[in-house]
Amino acid sequence: MNGVARRRQRLWIVVAILAVMGAIAGSVAYVKLSRELPEPQFASDEDHFLFASVGNERAHGIPYWVWLVLPRIFPEHLPRPGGYSAFGIVGMDGREMPAGFAKVTIGYPRVGINCAFCHTTRWRERPADPPTIVPAGPAHQTGAQDYVRFLIACASDPRFTAGNILGEIAKNYRLSLVDRVLYRFIIIPSTRRRLLALERDIEWMHQRPEWGRGRADLLNDAKFSFLRQPGDKTIGTADTVPLWNLKQHGGMAYFWDGSNTSLREAVVSAALAGGTPPGWIDERISSLDRVVNYVSAVKPAPYPFAVDQALVQKGSAVFSGACAECHAFGGARTGKVIPIAEIGTDRQRLDAWTAESATLYNAFADGHDWKFSAFRKSDGYVAVPLDGVWLRAPYLHNGSVPSLGDLLEPPDRRPVQFWRGYDVYDAARVGFVSDGPDARRVGTAHDTAKPGNSNAGHLFGTQLSVEEKRALLEFLKTQ
Amino acid sequence: MTMSLTRRIPAWARWNTTTGKVLILGLGVVALVGVWSLISLSRDSPVVYEDISEHFKYGSIGSEPGGSIFRSVGGALPPYWVFRTLPSVCPEKLPGGFASLGLIIEPGKDLPIGVSRRTRLGVDQVGFNCALCHTGTLRDSPGAPRRIVLGMPAHQLDLQRLVSFVLDCSLDSRLTRENVLARARDMNAGGPSLFERMLMRFALFSRLRDTVLELQARITPVLGDRVPAWGRGRVDTFNPYKSVQFNWPLDRLPPSELIGAADYPSLWNQAPRDGMQLHWDGDNDSVDERNLSAALGAGVTPVTVDHAEIKRIRDWIWKLPPPKYPYPIDQNLAAAGAPLYTAHCQSCHADQRFRDGVIVPGTRVGRVVPIADIGTDRHRLDSYTDEFAANQYALYPDSQYRFKRFRKTNGYANHPLDGIWLRGPFLHNGSVPTLRALLDAPDARPRVFYRGYDVFDQKNVGFVSDVPQEGGQTFTRFDTSVPGNGSGGHVYGTTLSDADKAALVEYLKTF
Repeated sequence: MNGVARRRQRLWIVVAILAVMGAIAGSVAYVKLSRELPEPQFASDEDHFLFASVGNERAHGIPYWVWLVLPRIFPEHLPRPGGYSAFGIVGMDGREMPAGFAKVTIGYPRVGINCAFCHTTRWRERPADPPTIVPAGPAHQTGAQDYVRFLIACASDPRFTAGNILGEIAKNYRLSLVDRVLYRFIIIPSTRRRLLALERDIEWMHQRPEWGRGRADLLNDAKFSFLRQPGDKTIGTADTVPLWNLKQHGGMAYFWDGSNTSLREAVVSAALAGGTPPGWIDERISSLDRVVNYVSAVKPAPYPFAVDQALVQKGSAVFSGACAECHAFGGARTGKVIPIAEIGTDRQRLDAWTAESATLYNAFADGHDWKFSAFRKSDGYVAVPLDGVWLRAPYLHNGSVPSLGDLLEPPDRRPVQFWRGYDVYDAARVGFVSDGPDARRVGTAHDTAKPGNSNAGHLFGTQLSVEEKRALLEFLKTQ
Repeated sequence: MTMSLTRRIPAWARWNTTTGKVLILGLGVVALVGVWSLISLSRDSPVVYEDISEHFKYGSIGSEPGGSIFRSVGGALPPYWVFRTLPSVCPEKLPGGFASLGLIIEPGKDLPIGVSRRTRLGVDQVGFNCALCHTGTLRDSPGAPRRIVLGMPAHQLDLQRLVSFVLDCSLDSRLTRENVLARARDMNAGGPSLFERMLMRFALFSRLRDTVLELQARITPVLGDRVPAWGRGRVDTFNPYKSVQFNWPLDRLPPSELIGAADYPSLWNQAPRDGMQLHWDGDNDSVDERNLSAALGAGVTPVTVDHAEIKRIRDWIWKLPPPKYPYPIDQNLAAAGAPLYTAHCQSCHADQRFRDGVIVPGTRVGRVVPIADIGTDRHRLDSYTDEFAANQYALYPDSQYRFKRFRKTNGYANHPLDGIWLRGPFLHNGSVPTLRALLDAPDARPRVFYRGYDVFDQKNVGFVSDVPQEGGQTFTRFDTSVPGNGSGGHVYGTTLSDADKAALVEYLKTF
């Protein structure tokens, strides 16, 4: 062999070795970082609702092992001790994940949120009692904004290092050497980058009042992220809503301002707001349809305490006279939009949704098998039916009135400040305990003087007599 | 090829030159030291006891520090040689030695019962095991020999002071390599290995201090003056757990939640208990999960736990019989107590046949009675929260052992009374010294008494509770007016006549 041929042969050997190594590295990278394992299947629709993925983990998921240890490394970024429970996130009896959290493996196990994150509620009779958890109820106790801000605070902390995170993981789980290398050099740094990027994405929140527990501004999130509308000063913060009994709500308007009348569109758009990519919906809309089926069928939780039946009878008459037209199933205006001039409640949420938003949303799914066509701009807020109303406190679209008792008072006698998110029930006022040391420790303050937080309007029933109000409250417990 | 390779090695480094020989020799030594270190560091070998009761007393459940050499995990105690020398390094902090804290040291043994030994990470380590809190002593009279009963509540042990002492002395400036080695030589038991002595020179003490400082920072709020002392025979199960496992900042919890001290339970006869609501507040109904949870308290982690060795103990306590009452019983009096027991106690506490595994169906045995009904001190109940349970579900993650059975409850669980004579003081917080006193109305029960003295009180059934000290030991002055120590509630049987009460107490001796 002459020198040139020998050199060429060597070159080929080197190239072949590199190619084999590259193929191995590529396969390992695919398997360990990107390969999607089948999602866990849930036998019951309720478990599917509580724990199934809505597809946001590839883009937004947090690596499970990192997610697990963040509250243990950064307890100072939590509002109080308790791990994720400190945000009102609901632990479920014996389940690995809290309600509203899916764990799926895309290369590595990842955690994402689903519908139940904002739509599972919780109450208890006395402070030391075990809580009762009600899937599909409004998550009045959950601080969605606080949770996101916690993740970002962790990523911004100089102690968010591979060494610290792997050290804490090592107390709980033995990762393989390959995994440790991948976590150290790829997964943890990319998680940090993604969370820091998220901080830029949510910058618009900082100019607006805190959501507090049980509220979210998903509307502006949709506008500024995937609808790509220009920034504005609107505040779309509103209470999370119950998702139960929706079959009976058929034909009524969804969202507080009634901006859509299709349940499926409402569910799909809420998933988009939660980070679900359109491509995932193309492939797995059946998973969302299972959610639609669940929330259509699930019944509201009945009032758990004793009621005075004679008083309920009297209250029923009061309700028929003062409320039924707008709030009873079958009422002439139930499920319809009541003009803002008539209802008089805080208009920020209404104004945050524009005609342009509706147009953009209706065009958003063009080219997909699923469509949006029912988005619209309205001029008021929907008069909602009151199924399970006892568990839907605080009240009004912006959750500005802590109890039904307060809602029957004229606005100037409603509390100007109270605490949201504490889950002990106040059967006398019909709502959650909203002040006192425990409510202040656990909850977040709602200041009605802040923009978007006003407790004005909805004067209906405020002129009733004390006796009538008492009877009406008793009746409302049974709804 | 050979030629060209040889040509590339510089002349001074070739094997046939002097420098080359030195170089190769040096490399060889480095390689040998490396292999030796690797073997030393990766060895994980517990001291194994074939005999199950020896295993229970001294065997390892994996609570020694382990994991990786770069960052060890788990463990509550310093290495073997350090642990053994602590009392002489800091003599004024523990004048009576470990025995004065109620640790049981059998003749000829190098470690107390409840302390295991295991080589991990190149170091001879020690850890706690089940026997620490579940082995008790008793004497027939002050002059009688001490009986050691395995599986009995360690009513004599002051765990809180033990932990405080170990932390305190581990940070003492006198804890140096020289002091430890000098004392280890005096112990005449071989002393630390060469490898360990090397580690002591370089990293061991600084790392120990780091670990201790971290542990101390986490659990100080429940060790210091901010909460009432646990005293002998009691532990706050869940508050240290909150900080050690989850790093909850305890000083930010509501103060009343930090008062959780409760009596140690007995470990015998577990088979019929599986499925009952275990722990004082009945927060878990799986014996295995309860065991693994208690093991966390002893210092294991989900990665350092020794499931096989715990399984041996689990299988043993599954059928371990409760010890029979060794003193005379007035059979006529006991017979008179039997119907009283049936009428007043049995539906909650099971009958005598429970010791043979028989549970009468349809009773409330092993079920939680709401706090409003039982009326005993509620602090222990409130120290366990649903938020804590939610965090526990992530323990032993991604394994068959992951916790699933913990639940927040709203009361205290009824417990079967097998071997009840050895389980004083009574109620979950050990606030009533004897069975007889428990049959008194709450305001007639002793307000102040002493815990930890191990002479048995045959008349009242329990331990003699009016002895403040003996020899080098001071016993716990238990004041029922201190938060968490309330002796109210559980008024069942308190309205019986004195004669009936005497008969009932006599009958309980047969359990």
